[in-house]
Amino acid sequence: MAALFLRRAGLSLLSLLLVSLVLFVLTRSIPDSPARIVLGEDATAAAMAQFDRDHGLDRPILVQYGRWLEGIVLHGDLGTSFTTGLRMNRQVAATLPVTLELVIVAFAVSIVISLALGTLAAVLRDSVVDYGARLIAVLGVSVPGFWLAIVLIIFFAVDRDWFPPGGIAPLAKDWREHLRSIALPSFCLGVFYMAVLTRMTRSSLLDVLGLDYMRTARASGLRAGRVLAYALRNALVPVVTIAGMSFGHMFGWALIIEQVFNIDGLSRALLTAIQMRDYAMVQAVVMVFTFVFVIANLCADMLNASLNPRLASPA
Amino acid sequence: MPIDLRAKRRHLLTAAGAVAGLSLSPAWLRQARAQSSGGTLTVALSTNPITCDPINMSSHDTQIISQTIWENLVEFDIDGVLKPQLAKSLPTISEDKLTYSFELRDDVTFQNGQKLTAEDVKYSFEYTIDPAHKASRGSLFNRLSHVEVDSPTKLRVILKTPYSPWTAFLTKFMGIWPKGSRELVGDDGFRLKPVGLGTGPGIFEEWKPNDYVSLTKNPNYWQKGLPHWDRLVVKVVPEDATRIAYLVSGNADIIGAPPPREFARLKSRPKLQAQSTPTDGGWCFMLQNNAKPPFDDVNFRLAVAHAVDRKTIAEKIYYGLVEASPVPAPASSWWFDKQAADSLDYNLDKARAYLAKSKYQGDAATFELLTSAEAYLLDTNDCAVFLQAELAKIGIKVVLKKAAFAVVNPQVFRGDYQASIGNFMSPGEPTYMITVSCTPNQFLSKATNFDSPKVAELLKVAFAEEDRAKLKTVHAELQRELAAQSPLTWFGFFASANVWRDRVKGFKPSKGLTINVRNVSVE
Repeated sequence: MAALFLRRAGLSLLSLLLVSLVLFVLTRSIPDSPARIVLGEDATAAAMAQFDRDHGLDRPILVQYGRWLEGIVLHGDLGTSFTTGLRMNRQVAATLPVTLELVIVAFAVSIVISLALGTLAAVLRDSVVDYGARLIAVLGVSVPGFWLAIVLIIFFAVDRDWFPPGGIAPLAKDWREHLRSIALPSFCLGVFYMAVLTRMTRSSLLDVLGLDYMRTARASGLRAGRVLAYALRNALVPVVTIAGMSFGHMFGWALIIEQVFNIDGLSRALLTAIQMRDYAMVQAVVMVFTFVFVIANLCADMLNASLNPRLASPA
Repeated sequence: MPIDLRAKRRHLLTAAGAVAGLSLSPAWLRQARAQSSGGTLTVALSTNPITCDPINMSSHDTQIISQTIWENLVEFDIDGVLKPQLAKSLPTISEDKLTYSFELRDDVTFQNGQKLTAEDVKYSFEYTIDPAHKASRGSLFNRLSHVEVDSPTKLRVILKTPYSPWTAFLTKFMGIWPKGSRELVGDDGFRLKPVGLGTGPGIFEEWKPNDYVSLTKNPNYWQKGLPHWDRLVVKVVPEDATRIAYLVSGNADIIGAPPPREFARLKSRPKLQAQSTPTDGGWCFMLQNNAKPPFDDVNFRLAVAHAVDRKTIAEKIYYGLVEASPVPAPASSWWFDKQAADSLDYNLDKARAYLAKSKYQGDAATFELLTSAEAYLLDTNDCAVFLQAELAKIGIKVVLKKAAFAVVNPQVFRGDYQASIGNFMSPGEPTYMITVSCTPNQFLSKATNFDSPKVAELLKVAFAEEDRAKLKTVHAELQRELAAQSPLTWFGFFASANVWRDRVKGFKPSKGLTINVRNVSVE
């Protein structure tokens, strides 16, 4: 287990380094300088060149990369925005908890519902529950998230005032208001993954339940609940892998959800940063997302190894 | 073979129903949120501010922040009329047009309690025009030489060369701050937390990046009784549909940049009011590279100018939020010249005749029209498709090319294109956009590659003139010259449009585009 962890952790570090290099080169390939945003559309070429000089944007790209990486590795400094002058560490610290909460709530709800629904659909195969679960799964993967978000806002916030149309109310101020404000975005964010995981749980469980050793277990008189528990342990391996990846993907999806629900989270900050050619912010956010993605996958691998110890041993 | 758990299905469904029921209990439903108003006025904008500092503000939307914190010697009111603000009256101008004398009001204090004096004005101007301070708007004032203080309330602004438009830039692009404050709080103070630095009705309270900027009422504001609100929240809501939802659900009181398509619908919605007013400086036009074929031929340019149905663009493409005009002057402005406009009327026969005279016939009568995928001030893509269809009627083929804003802009600015539809907002006086697009060494010079000595000469005359009657003649001549050369194809001037809840009183869209909330109250 420890060997697996070390192996995976090493690979994760390598991935982070590779992503940082590709990310840096790509962000520098964005046409036009951030100077255009800061100095305005009517900035002269001389003023823009001066801006680039002042911010080191005229230096060779590898020199810029080296300085940026040095800041992260040696000082934990994600840099400073060219456009707003804000420190990235502070920006990430202010917005990451919002996105993290949104993703965790959406992830937890989608895991609980998909496991329950997928299991029910598998054990009650071809029943009303199964058809219902499959219908929900198909709808969940087919309906575009941004469309669903706008429909929900119109129905529940504009026409009925049951939920706010956007923003996240501070938890410290009013926890009920906070829950109300996070309900719609979490639902919209989780619905796709809930659908995918429901289908995955159902099909994986059906596969396992049809295997010989399951038939033997039932024939030997084991209780249905015990048989299901054994089956789930094996059926969950692919589900955990997909769930681990889904957790990382949710940060990407959150970009659309945060934009539509006007949530000041890290994902939306990425979109704003791209629009404003705020290199430092784009780099900081993508590095944080990559880190979360890598950690989520590492956790999924470890969990799978504990569910199925054969995975921990080298091939 | 599946396990038989059917006997337990009813229990499971009952439990699921109970969970769903609890989550939608009447207590939950009754938590309808009270409006967050009282004395708070919430304005939702599509644009994210990058600074509060007026000399570095690049977006007209977010200037609501700087214009509520800072003031200047004169201001454009919401109807586009230049009026004194911190000065007692409009300046007296010397005969050589190089000296502007101002007398300050004597009842103005900064938000930090310090009394406003002429030394503060001198300090603010000289800070802005000093190139070392790299004010992004500093170039607007580079014809200013220095300021001389005659007494605590009297001062003179000295210009290097006559340049009458400079006063029009004041409120929008700079402010007056206390002497020594730049050194005291630094650039970051002005940019991120400018507390007590202005004389305006709003005192900076908080900036939550990507979310909102809030200001509180200045209790010692020199215009007694103003502002009517206790707190102003400028909320950033980039998504059009969400911004409208904020307004309709009462989470915002006023919204900026309503999508033209939605504007008419929102107008008829109960509890909402919508209004638009043409801006004096909002150019809606087609940029043309006059150094590249086919726009290097004046006959081709005139053929295009005559083939554009501006009325349909204004009414059908932009739902009335553009005022049609074929010349660089809004039809409702004082400097509009009807003769120049009539010379570029929509007339397909004239267009065909000019095309026949041009050196670009048949397949050569083709150009690529670049549009931005994202809307800046107005969406240009529908307009481009319409233009393609219009020009096809006279045999000009338009190839549409859509790209990201960040790609289109540099391409246009360096002149690496043939034509592109653009929207630009200028300070609302007649010369600025013509100067930057039709004279050398300006930010649009390479984009248009048009340099006319006659235009430059007429602009020089306009800069040295203050009398509106005489200026009208100069501008008429300028428009006629531009109409004859057609270096750009003007469609019209976009409107400043806002939608607000009817509990907001005293609000009107501003001709300067930036929302003005000075006289606004919330019921």
